[in-house]
Amino acid sequence: MRALLIPAGEDLYAVDTERVREVVAGPEPTVLPSAPRWVLGVINVRGEIVPLLDTAAMLGVGNSDQPAFAVVVRTAAGPAALTATAIPEFATLGTDLGVAALPGTVSRHRLGQRLVVRIDVDALVTLAHGEAPSVAVDAP
Amino acid sequence: MSQQGLDRFRALFAEEAETRLGRLNQLLLEIEAADPPPDAIGEIFREVHTLKGAAAVVGFDDLSAYAHVLEEQLEELRAGRRVLDLAVVDSLLAAVDGLAQLISASLTNEDAAELARAIGPPLLDRVAAPAPRAAERVAVATHAPAAARPTPPEAAAPAARTTGPAEARAPSDVRATIQVSVERLDELVRLVGEAASANLRVGRLVHERLGPEATSATELVSLSRLLNELQERAMRTRMVPITTITDQLRRAVRDLARTLGKDVRWEVQGEDTELDRSVLQQLADSLLHVVRNAVDHGIESPEEREHAGKPSFGTVQLHAMQFGSEVTIAVIDDGRGIDVDRVRAKAARQGFDVDDLTDDEALQLVFRSGISTAPSVTDISGRGVGLDVVRASVEAARGRIEIHSERGVGTEMRLMVPTTLAVMRCLVVQADDQRFALPMHRVVVARDGAAATTHAEGRRIIWVGDEPVTVTALGDVLGHPGQAAPTGPIVVVNGTLQRHAFQVDSLVGQRDAVVKGLSGVLPRIDVVAGTSVEPDGSVLVVLDPPGLVERARNSTTKGSKAQMSDADRVRPHHILVVDDALTVRELQRSILERAGYTVSVAGDGVDALGRLAEGDVDLVLTDVEMPRMDGFALTRAIRERPPIANLPVLILTSLSSEEDRQKGLDAGADGYIIKSAFDERALLQAVDGALGAGR
Repeated sequence: MRALLIPAGEDLYAVDTERVREVVAGPEPTVLPSAPRWVLGVINVRGEIVPLLDTAAMLGVGNSDQPAFAVVVRTAAGPAALTATAIPEFATLGTDLGVAALPGTVSRHRLGQRLVVRIDVDALVTLAHGEAPSVAVDAP
Repeated sequence: MSQQGLDRFRALFAEEAETRLGRLNQLLLEIEAADPPPDAIGEIFREVHTLKGAAAVVGFDDLSAYAHVLEEQLEELRAGRRVLDLAVVDSLLAAVDGLAQLISASLTNEDAAELARAIGPPLLDRVAAPAPRAAERVAVATHAPAAARPTPPEAAAPAARTTGPAEARAPSDVRATIQVSVERLDELVRLVGEAASANLRVGRLVHERLGPEATSATELVSLSRLLNELQERAMRTRMVPITTITDQLRRAVRDLARTLGKDVRWEVQGEDTELDRSVLQQLADSLLHVVRNAVDHGIESPEEREHAGKPSFGTVQLHAMQFGSEVTIAVIDDGRGIDVDRVRAKAARQGFDVDDLTDDEALQLVFRSGISTAPSVTDISGRGVGLDVVRASVEAARGRIEIHSERGVGTEMRLMVPTTLAVMRCLVVQADDQRFALPMHRVVVARDGAAATTHAEGRRIIWVGDEPVTVTALGDVLGHPGQAAPTGPIVVVNGTLQRHAFQVDSLVGQRDAVVKGLSGVLPRIDVVAGTSVEPDGSVLVVLDPPGLVERARNSTTKGSKAQMSDADRVRPHHILVVDDALTVRELQRSILERAGYTVSVAGDGVDALGRLAEGDVDLVLTDVEMPRMDGFALTRAIRERPPIANLPVLILTSLSSEEDRQKGLDAGADGYIIKSAFDERALLQAVDGALGAGR
């Protein structure tokens, strides 16, 4: 299975290739006041405003202060950019080693000496919202 | 044809039918004018004929059969075998209404055959009241000559029919317009904007390389100019002229005047004025309401007018004009005007302090819930649920509304709205090293930081006229506390119910920003309305003043909690929200809780009655369409139970027809909020108003 590897600190995560739109180097987010910790802000990707989400913070494994790259993925709720602390690369994932433990992840795979955890971007976004539904007051 | 193909064609048919219905209504009204267009009947015939054919192609046989009968009747008129009089125009208008109903039923997969039976065939030889109800039509239809009965659907098979002058269709089909989805236009606007900012970056690059010589690079200058023009033109693609709704208004004036036995002339000026389609759609209902008000309450009867020395016919005018990025639409009548003293008296009864208000200020109170001066409740208006809803929907379109009236001379209702919702006029401010935009329509005033402020209850206060407004540093509210207190300008903004002032580091300027709401990927952030891309590609955060004010007030009340004695605290009002849609229920709950109410929820009428039996509920806010027991039945059930019979009930629904509203009010509801006109502020005002009245 082809996937894009997203380094988050010491860890290595993966997103299915068909979910990946593009990779942005050195994203400089505009901070949104009073946003939750996992929202680093928004970035302008060729005229489109995309939220920049802290991959590690969403998974609950720390946070990445100075993201080197942003991986723009398609989610059910629209495009989102996930932070990567080093350059993301494509790889073919090996055998499925079973269910991963973190919320928003689906499976674990061996890649050389590394263990890669596959992310379900839709689940990740939904879970990060917690119980609070994101309902905007609908100005008709 | 595959189902998918058929769906696509039906979608096309929906668009086409809308255009044709609009044209039909327009033509029928023109027939009544002093100099009707020469071949109006011929054109009406062709429109109906084309509609008939199109309906048959997409399989809407009942609709097609109905159109066929109408076509035959029109042929009688065209051939001069029938005389065209007012009654016939009435019948034709009613028939076009019937077409509209059938089209809508066919498109929504309702039982069109059943509806066609209920409406009856579109016959001209009955004297119809304007827009008669379906029941009346059935009664009349039973006496109609058998020959004119509609062709049964199976016999119609109109796709294959060639009756009617097919050759006459050509001219009306040659149109210089095409339908484009708004989504595509938005995409176009976004790409053009992106091209403009890329050009800006290139310009900077060229400037760095060439130095001062760059200014003489005429290619670059002309490219910039072209891109600017392209951007402006792209924006304009979303605009439509106001004529798109004036025909509907003209029809309303005509029908209502005829029902009331009044003689009313309708005049439009500035019909070419353009507005964003979505703004115009939002305003359509409000304008309809205002225009009907003018005919119903403004214009006097011919006798009364003559007695007052006025011409026997009244005039309702609609003036539209553009001022900069704003359009003003004024509805002016030369009727009896509004009795300001009555407005004062009514407002005073509701607890308003009216003594210090000028007449003009007092008049604006008619936009408050529950203040209407209509002497009696009629079918048309005057239920007190009118003008407050109008104001709410104008405000939802980021506009404002004013009223001016002189007794015996007339009333002018003025709606001022931005030309487009795609572009929002913003005030850009700097606070804690970040720039933020504040929507201009919420900004009351910006004052110099050195302006006189005072202190009260542990808070900093600035006077805005006679109103004391609390001042907070914007950075503190946005979550950067502890920074040096700003000494820059103070910006006063309108929240949902209150004003608040924010001190910033500096004012950067005004911008017409293309504002996009936050992505669905993000949770709702109450202080942020959206974002906008600056010409240099950077992102500007647009703040949401109501959320901002709410947050600022919560933090200041928290700070001064110690000063609030227990005696001051009253039990917050308890509201029961009844809706079967979880999302809507929770949305309402969050709005109401934020405003300080205690909220319980119920999934339908039966649940709600169970919850009401436990007592302590002060107001019920209910949806209409619900399983087991709907909102109307719930309202009636409440009114029938003595202990809770006086409980205020507000109905919130997407049903917007006059009939449904009537039904809600007949059931005993205190107010009726239409979801399309629904925003946080409108909801809170309605709730406030109903609670005030119920005490």
